Amino acid sequence: MVKEQKGRKMQQENKIALGILVGGVVALSLYWFLPTSSPKPIIKKVEQEQIILPKEGRVHHAKIPEVEAYLEQLSALMRRGEAVIPLGEEELESRSKRVQTFLLKNPQFLADTHHNKQLLHNDMMRILPALVGSIPERFQQQCKAHHCYEAQKYNFVTNTTTKALVDSDTLSLLSLERYPQMQPDISLRLTHIAQAIALASEDVKEALGKTPSFKDMTMANVRGTMKESPCQNTSHLCVAPTFSDHHAQKALWAVVDLTELRLAAAKWAGLGKTTTPACISERALQNRYIMKHFCQKDTLLKRNGWEISYRLTGSDGLEVHHVSFNGKPVLDSAKIVDWHVSYQEKGGESLDTSTQSYIEGRRVEFRKEEDGNYLFGYNDAMGCPLFSTSVVLAFNAPQIKPLPFGDGFMLTQDFRNPKWPMACNYRYENRFEFYNDGSFRVVGVNKGRGCGDHAIYRPVMRIDVNLGAEEKFYSATQEGWREWLVEGSEFVPTHTTPYPYKITSASDVTRGYKIEPNHGQFHDQSRGDNATLFVTHFHPNEGESDLLTLGSCCNLKEDGVERYVEDNESIDAKKIVLWYVPRIYNDSKKGEEYCWADSIVDDSGNIEVKVWPCTVGPKFIPLKGAE
Amino acid sequence: MRRYLPIVLASVVVLLGAVWVVSEKKSVPKQEPQQKQVAPLCPFGDSFQKEVSKSPLPHFLHTLKLPQPFLIDLSQKEHRGLALYYGRGLRHLLHPKVWERYGHFSTYVLDKEGNLYLTPMPFISIEPQTFAWQKAIYRLESQTGKLKPWRILEEVEASASNPYGVTSIAYDKHDHTLWVGTLNGSTYTEQKGVIYHIDIASKRILGRIEGVDALSLQLLQGKQQRWLLIGSARGGELLAYGLECQEGVNTPQKLFSLPNTQMQIRKMRVIAPNTLLLETIPFSYTLITQSAKEDRVRYIAKWYPQRQKWEISLQMNENVTK
Repeated sequence: MVKEQKGRKMQQENKIALGILVGGVVALSLYWFLPTSSPKPIIKKVEQEQIILPKEGRVHHAKIPEVEAYLEQLSALMRRGEAVIPLGEEELESRSKRVQTFLLKNPQFLADTHHNKQLLHNDMMRILPALVGSIPERFQQQCKAHHCYEAQKYNFVTNTTTKALVDSDTLSLLSLERYPQMQPDISLRLTHIAQAIALASEDVKEALGKTPSFKDMTMANVRGTMKESPCQNTSHLCVAPTFSDHHAQKALWAVVDLTELRLAAAKWAGLGKTTTPACISERALQNRYIMKHFCQKDTLLKRNGWEISYRLTGSDGLEVHHVSFNGKPVLDSAKIVDWHVSYQEKGGESLDTSTQSYIEGRRVEFRKEEDGNYLFGYNDAMGCPLFSTSVVLAFNAPQIKPLPFGDGFMLTQDFRNPKWPMACNYRYENRFEFYNDGSFRVVGVNKGRGCGDHAIYRPVMRIDVNLGAEEKFYSATQEGWREWLVEGSEFVPTHTTPYPYKITSASDVTRGYKIEPNHGQFHDQSRGDNATLFVTHFHPNEGESDLLTLGSCCNLKEDGVERYVEDNESIDAKKIVLWYVPRIYNDSKKGEEYCWADSIVDDSGNIEVKVWPCTVGPKFIPLKGAE
Repeated sequence: MRRYLPIVLASVVVLLGAVWVVSEKKSVPKQEPQQKQVAPLCPFGDSFQKEVSKSPLPHFLHTLKLPQPFLIDLSQKEHRGLALYYGRGLRHLLHPKVWERYGHFSTYVLDKEGNLYLTPMPFISIEPQTFAWQKAIYRLESQTGKLKPWRILEEVEASASNPYGVTSIAYDKHDHTLWVGTLNGSTYTEQKGVIYHIDIASKRILGRIEGVDALSLQLLQGKQQRWLLIGSARGGELLAYGLECQEGVNTPQKLFSLPNTQMQIRKMRVIAPNTLLLETIPFSYTLITQSAKEDRVRYIAKWYPQRQKWEISLQMNENVTK
């Protein structure tokens, strides 16, 4: 009986053990085969690239014999009243030579080589026997019997290719077509010039780690006829000589801009067919370089006792933050969050604002004033060239340059509409000047061109000085310094005193900065700031991160910052933010240009852009330095 | 004690097994779905024909007795939102103020009942509601002409660093569904766009294709099966997604890249057997307007089924002067 019970018990324990084994195996199998967590969304990583942009200030074609000879020939031609650089002997045989001579005297062919009696730089690119496929049906018979040639000419100013079909036997022009915004295959001479520019480039040498020779290079020419060039900077003719490193299985593509005769950019790519860039554009390379180095991460700059973190934002331009001088904090952040652009016109009484209006793709805001005038315009945000809410985009990377009088350095970033200096397109510069004595200046530069005169530009500067968590702000009065106890704003006085304001630490009032508004004393041809100053209590949601459009472009009674001072919060011994909004009136009158840009054709028949910048912004001087 | 030995032994075996299984599973490298080099389940090899659209125009146009022809204008040049030109020479305009309420639109499709579905577009300058508007698909009711948000995709979050949300749309007449592409959340380094397949009757999401930034969508009836063509917002790529491939394994496959990879396909249509017309713009996920006529480039993409090859050429007619 006892044995039976014992046997039953044994069986029970075996069953439990078996259960544990089976259950364990099932559970572990499920664990093995089932996904560990809910599936994550699929995210595709974008391939990273290594891009080189030419360093600022390097002269790209100085002392390159091929370039010098080309420029000399061009100016000699212009002096003779001719605009087309012909093909050299080495690119012509007897028939094509005759065709070239004929075309260079043909008024139809040369019709686009001048504008208002101004000669425009053209190059003859190719003169070759016409391929059957490129001969129009109506000339097939004639070209079967005769020797027909196709000639291609490129106009560097209008970015237009002209294609002519010529019967070389009768020397008659059979057809003539112009292709605006198209670039042809380039001449042998320009090929050699592009190669020479790439070989002479210091940036290419640095990237390759050696001085390259001609044999290291292959020429990536324009493929086919009448296609877009491999470098498509919309209106420039570019080609890409390539330096192959077979050992490392990669190649350096040097993009040479033949319109400006300079190295535009370079990019490392793999040697395989799949990684060879089908099309390299200077602009695209710049954009990717800027995104990778300045929009995706902060950069630390250490110089002359200054330590500065900087980055490009989505819509607030170039921002400097965590700035210190000789180890002491100076700025939490400084940036230009917006440019209000408005135009003042007469005749507001008859203005119809019932429907939306647009200029160059921007929605225009209209505002009638009491005096019968009206204002129209828009808000321009500056920022990263990709993935941002900006319309005026970072061109090139931030640059560090010495100040004109050698007393410090500047960190500066160029922002442009891609079509600047065409009408209704803009170019701004964000600049931060750092002086050897611990002073600094926040600067906005406008380089036109805008839609015309009567423009009023208002950059909105946000300056968050770091003097600790408790700060005080003062105005200069005849009786001495008067503290601002609550948030507020006022028009910045000019000429009454060089330093109308100061900001100090609340715990140590000798620590801080005097503020020197610009009234033209900074030797930059500025006509003054005419600014409004706002002093606000710091709130993270008031511009610490990217600010979208702030207020109206065209209400001259408001700058957009008013919303942050409405509550009249106390700013006594509080963290303070300064908002400085200069007001600039442009001028397009000849001889008095200001905030303006214009394109002219220069003596060599090429386009030259003339810029008349306007520069604004206050300087901050350490209290001890000012006294 | 001996009688519990089997239980103890079994527990120890299971425990040891568990330790081994957990450590082994952790050591197996996780495969990133996007890095899988899986050959497409049903590779594109189809010939295709031009299909005639049978979608009727919105019914309210007939109710209002407006004379034909009609032009739906989303160009934003003259009017915000939706504008409709009609009559001889398209000289008359229908543009109620309420059609401006949801900002700007980028593209549209018509369904079999004449309802018009629109996708939003952020535009200069940013308004307080701009990002919220990017979450929705909008519908202009065929019967009434009322414009309102039709389906809000809550997970779509436009932002200052990528102001785009719902961007592209295609109507599938075979099952009365919409294919809707979004770009939200994508960054310079990551492509996080989602294409949603939405049933019109129930507004239910039937499926999703993840990790694709679709700037344009187009249904294509091949000889063997139907395809969803996807104009990628990056790299000038045209992708194809087989609609009759096995679920789960199917992924969009690249058909080709444009010669200029800075240009992205914004519109596409079949213009002849095995021939696509592609309208491209330089797209950079910013608000810079580069959709003006001079910025647009048209390509002809011709498919040769026998050679299994695409040939891409520029359509230059518009620019040539003689």
